[in-house]
Amino acid sequence: MAEYANPDVLVSTEWVAGHANDPKVKIVESDEDVLLYEVGHVEGAVKIDWQTDLQDQIVRDYVDRAKFEKLLSEKGIANDTTVVFYGDKNNWWACYAYWVFKLFGHEKALVMNGGRQKWVEEGRPLTKDVPNYPKTAYKVSRVDESIRAFRDDVVKHMGAKKPLIDVRSPKEFTGELLHMEAYPQEGALRGGHIPGAKNVPWATAVKEDGTFKSADDLKAIYMDGKGLKKGDDVIAYCRIGERSSHTWFVLTYLLGFDKVRNYDGSWTEWGNLVKAPIEKP
Amino acid sequence: MSRIDEIIGQFQGADYQETLVMLLDYSEALPPLPDEYREARDAGFNRVPECETPVYIFIDVKDGKVRIHADVPEESPTVRGFVSLLVDAFEGVAPEEIVSAPENLIHSLSLDRKLGTRRMFGLSAVYNRIRSEVRKAGGVN
Repeated sequence: MAEYANPDVLVSTEWVAGHANDPKVKIVESDEDVLLYEVGHVEGAVKIDWQTDLQDQIVRDYVDRAKFEKLLSEKGIANDTTVVFYGDKNNWWACYAYWVFKLFGHEKALVMNGGRQKWVEEGRPLTKDVPNYPKTAYKVSRVDESIRAFRDDVVKHMGAKKPLIDVRSPKEFTGELLHMEAYPQEGALRGGHIPGAKNVPWATAVKEDGTFKSADDLKAIYMDGKGLKKGDDVIAYCRIGERSSHTWFVLTYLLGFDKVRNYDGSWTEWGNLVKAPIEKP
Repeated sequence: MSRIDEIIGQFQGADYQETLVMLLDYSEALPPLPDEYREARDAGFNRVPECETPVYIFIDVKDGKVRIHADVPEESPTVRGFVSLLVDAFEGVAPEEIVSAPENLIHSLSLDRKLGTRRMFGLSAVYNRIRSEVRKAGGVN
């Protein structure tokens, strides 16, 4: 059985339980539900919210460098801290936060395999105690735009017939639905997908217990199934760039692809753009 | 002053963290669904379909007073807290009071500004469902 390309990027719930008081490690919970951390979280974990902490509240973008530095300093995360992400819904938002951390060049970042679901199902303890760590002086040394694709990059990519992976549900891909089921506020005026994109719904990459599928299974899905190769220049997208950050994580770290970018504008940008080409069966 | 106006006042004056604490308290205070409604819930009746979280709302109007019973999973504390807030605000009031409550309650409570607009759709769906059920059950237009 094949190994993940970077097996060290995943840690188990057991590993996390054993590192609750490790000063070199900070555990970060990122959930879709803004209140879940308050209900109870892994001992020592801090909360980072994808919407209120990581996104700019006015411009459609992430927070700027200064705000990111302030956020991490207040959470007690230093430049050399090993950050372990976990969250609800198969680590969906944990991977999103992970991607944003990588965008700001954070070096040591890991994901707790199985996320919050596995931790809870194993009967591990949750606490309401919010830790208070000494402030750090976090500095962003470089912003790594190589993992982010913008609209114009996608236009070029499409023109060059390079691989595009649409990780939305099949109904969103075909254009039958203008939004993810039950998320109609994040709709677009037009349905369908970017011409040439292949559809692999993001959650295809996880097992029922929330952990990632094996390297062999992932290879069968993305490489044998969709013809992607490790050296390919790949852009992944979804609706607002969150589900595709999960696929970005899988392709980059578990399968070892060299160049994967997340198009965070995604369908809520493309499907609203005047004259943007759309494929719809 | 109606209970909902009091609650709106409390939420408007609260910062982000205080808002979370109030919602969490509400989430923990939601009474369990009475036994007589469980069969209907298990059969899939009275689910709010627009909400991603499985939310079940049962509205009765007896002697001119509204009774609200709800079931929301504990893993979705934001929606659960909001439903519990609505129970606190509207349990036992006259149907007219619910119908005349602010149309955009989420905004009045400033939840959209504090928790992010992207999370508000499910909450709006629950609120609108309660109002439309009350209109039907209470015969109010």
